[in-house]
Amino acid sequence: MTELATMDFHPQPQAGEARPWAFPAPERGTLDNGLTVLHCDRPGQQVVAVEVLLDAPLDAEPAGLDGVATIMTRAFSEGTDKHSAEEFAAELERCGATLDSHADHPGVRLSLEVPVSRLAKALGLLADALRAPAFADSEIERLVANRLDEIPHETASPGRRAAKELYKELFPATSRMSRPRQGTEETVASIDSAAVRAFYEKHVRPATATAVVVGDLTGVDLAALLGDTLGAWTGSPAKPRPVPSVSADDAGRVIIVDRPGAVQTQLLIGRVGADRHDRVWPAQVLGTYCLGGTLTSRLDRVLREEKGYTYGVRAFGQVLRAAPDGSGTAMLAISGSVDTPNTGPALDDLWTVLRTLAAGGLTDAERDVAVQNLVGVAPLKFETAAAVASTLADQVEQYLPDDYQSTLYRQLAATGTVEATAAAVSAFPVDRLVTVLVGDAAQIEEPVRALGIGEVTVVPAE
Amino acid sequence: MPMGHTATAEAGSEGLTVKEHRLDNGLRVVLSEDHLTPVAAVCLWYDVGSRHEVEGRTGLAHLFEHLMFQGSGQVQGNGHFELVQGAGGSLNGTTSWERTNYFETMPTHQLELALWLEADRMGSLLVALDQKNLDNQRDVVKNERRQRYDNVPYGTSFEKIFRLAYPEGHPYRHTPIGSMEDLEAASLEDAREFFRTYYAPNNAVLSVVGDIDPEQTLAWVEKYFGSIPAYDGKREPRDGGLPDVIGEQLREVVEENVPARALMAAYRLPEDGTRACDAADLALTILGGGESSRLYNRLVRRDRSAVTAGFGLLRLAGAPSMAWLDVKTSGDVEVPVIEAAVDEELARFAAEGPTAEEMERAQAQLEREWLDRLGTVSGRADELCRFAVLFGDPKLALTAVDRVLEVTADEVQEIAKARLRPDNRAVLVYEPVAGEEGADEEEEAAEATAAATEAAETTDENEESAK
Repeated sequence: MTELATMDFHPQPQAGEARPWAFPAPERGTLDNGLTVLHCDRPGQQVVAVEVLLDAPLDAEPAGLDGVATIMTRAFSEGTDKHSAEEFAAELERCGATLDSHADHPGVRLSLEVPVSRLAKALGLLADALRAPAFADSEIERLVANRLDEIPHETASPGRRAAKELYKELFPATSRMSRPRQGTEETVASIDSAAVRAFYEKHVRPATATAVVVGDLTGVDLAALLGDTLGAWTGSPAKPRPVPSVSADDAGRVIIVDRPGAVQTQLLIGRVGADRHDRVWPAQVLGTYCLGGTLTSRLDRVLREEKGYTYGVRAFGQVLRAAPDGSGTAMLAISGSVDTPNTGPALDDLWTVLRTLAAGGLTDAERDVAVQNLVGVAPLKFETAAAVASTLADQVEQYLPDDYQSTLYRQLAATGTVEATAAAVSAFPVDRLVTVLVGDAAQIEEPVRALGIGEVTVVPAE
Repeated sequence: MPMGHTATAEAGSEGLTVKEHRLDNGLRVVLSEDHLTPVAAVCLWYDVGSRHEVEGRTGLAHLFEHLMFQGSGQVQGNGHFELVQGAGGSLNGTTSWERTNYFETMPTHQLELALWLEADRMGSLLVALDQKNLDNQRDVVKNERRQRYDNVPYGTSFEKIFRLAYPEGHPYRHTPIGSMEDLEAASLEDAREFFRTYYAPNNAVLSVVGDIDPEQTLAWVEKYFGSIPAYDGKREPRDGGLPDVIGEQLREVVEENVPARALMAAYRLPEDGTRACDAADLALTILGGGESSRLYNRLVRRDRSAVTAGFGLLRLAGAPSMAWLDVKTSGDVEVPVIEAAVDEELARFAAEGPTAEEMERAQAQLEREWLDRLGTVSGRADELCRFAVLFGDPKLALTAVDRVLEVTADEVQEIAKARLRPDNRAVLVYEPVAGEEGADEEEEAAEATAAATEAAETTDENEESAK
């Protein structure tokens, strides 16, 4: 039984005329100390975003000291030659600023956000942190202990546990990528202030660093401001580090990480692909979106909106580390959680979606909607200074030109259905996917074996 | 074009203006222009949340929110998602205790589509609502519950602490996600009745913010929403009022397979919209916000007894707000050690009050948070609706930060003294059981999964939790 509505209906309205919008083009320069600076004025954005990239990638960590880049990165906000750790945190917060930082495969990234009215002071603190970090013994000890305490929490998180297993499976043990980014209990426990300082002295210098500044810079003398702050940072010149090549084993197989009693199974199904320099990237973005970019993509259309097995499953491509010659590595993956009893049926459906895609391809309508979304959302997506700064920093980190994002939008718009299909199918071939399932092995092992999607191995969670 | 009858009002803050209007059917409309970027946000708050639910039907408001994305009179199936995303927009909905909100952010030239879509489901959802949709979304919501609460360490702590802190029969005692049993019991007739009762224009506020022409926008609003009939049979929620303090220390010990001991506690605080609530916000920021707070300095830096330590504030307008303390212990440290240190810090703060520098820091932090929230058209649209629905005046959103900056150190001390006391809290203690903990390494960046959630455009859904 339905109920008639009593409102007046009108036909669906047509779009008006689109107003022009372009991804902001940054200005580029170099300070006397060799620091590369990109800046971009975004009127109205009162909270300024500053990103600093350091050429201190995880593969530069000495053997047995995985996690030293992370500890160094955290220690940047734990005191300088002017302030103790507590004072430094207090001074930053007094500016209304936040400073987040993390160490990853391409390098170390510091992200500062601060109201423009207090930009000068916050930039001064950031410069102090980079120029003269204290790395006091007691603070490093505390950061190491704190990091060790975090590890069991990460092991207990289904998503993180799945990621750890997938990296371990995909990459050879000799590759830094096979091992946890922030180190293991063994390696972290070996880190001390001397190791942190040595890593800093070897890899942190303005000549191989880049700063990106975005926000409402009306009335800000940025050149003078940067000269007084980040410009005071000194260091020897150096060449950028070469990017090591990475191999991966994507032979189709299944690893169940056993969590007895889990009410859901965390899925992480992945392999590796090329970085953004590869010509296939725009088509792959498009095809991956059609496969699993949103709730109306192929995967969720079945797994969520038809079957109700999940709150949502996503497919994505994420650059792990790019190389200037395009020989870098991206993770291509499908991720989500499904309820325990439906784990077998959900994976069966997932593989059917992939096979159907390979057999029949995408439709023009799917391709069109995907392009309209991916390109159309740009003005929304880049409304804040932080979003613009982060993308500009990604481009630098991945050796891409400053107009890459604009080019990508043009390429997406020019990509056809056939290319998008081909890219999605070769990104997610049914027999070359490593499937990690974090769940209750007693309940899911047999149904998963029965699917024939690869050899099944069960490992303990801890 | 003739439209409605309420005079428009304007208020300004930092160059932002607000125009208000009311259609004949009672729909309140709030418009704010900002032409810096060619985008427009549409936000619709319905004055209904989990506090309106009755016993045996917890989770209905949120389940219903999912059903709002399953089609309506002129929109097929997942059309709300498909049309908005295909227009280069983003969309979502959320449910809390006090309201349900729906929002679209669109490129300017697609604004009219979002208004048409929102009007279609406000006026004709029941045309499309059927048992199949209900059964499917019930399964989705159960999986949402598993993913966000049941399959996560400490995942049900929030739910447990509400059950402890708010008394039997109180409308805020259950969280918006609801219980598995109640979700199972929800019927099609429950959903229909819920829609008829609460999804009426006179129970909603619509805000449109961004690169808009206010006259044109209002004409579209009138065109699409104007004929939807008002409904006057709404049931008010049960009274959420409670005494200022709990009067005793409530306590529950949870033995679960969690990675470390934890101390969590809820303190009863003044309602949102009051100066005392802003004072409490400052007190909690000084005590437990960020890495220069008193509790962080004491527990994480000096005693090294905790991995994380912080305070959050859940602002509620129709019931006492809640301060939420969350401390995860380090190594073998026992909970009483943490608890004694927390009590000592709270007592000291109540006795001495904040320093001038602490006030400056906390106000700077809260000011930045406000700049962030008002810095996007969608954030601004949401805040305008919030102040219109909960406090009757959207313009209050533009001056909210000024009110936080006016609070004095004395007021902060006073609220701490009155409320942050052991006899005004519900304590939840986690003690790990079984399995030796921490025997293994980890993976940092499960960016794999994090990216999946972020990069994914919205999944309609979800309830809101404390910040």
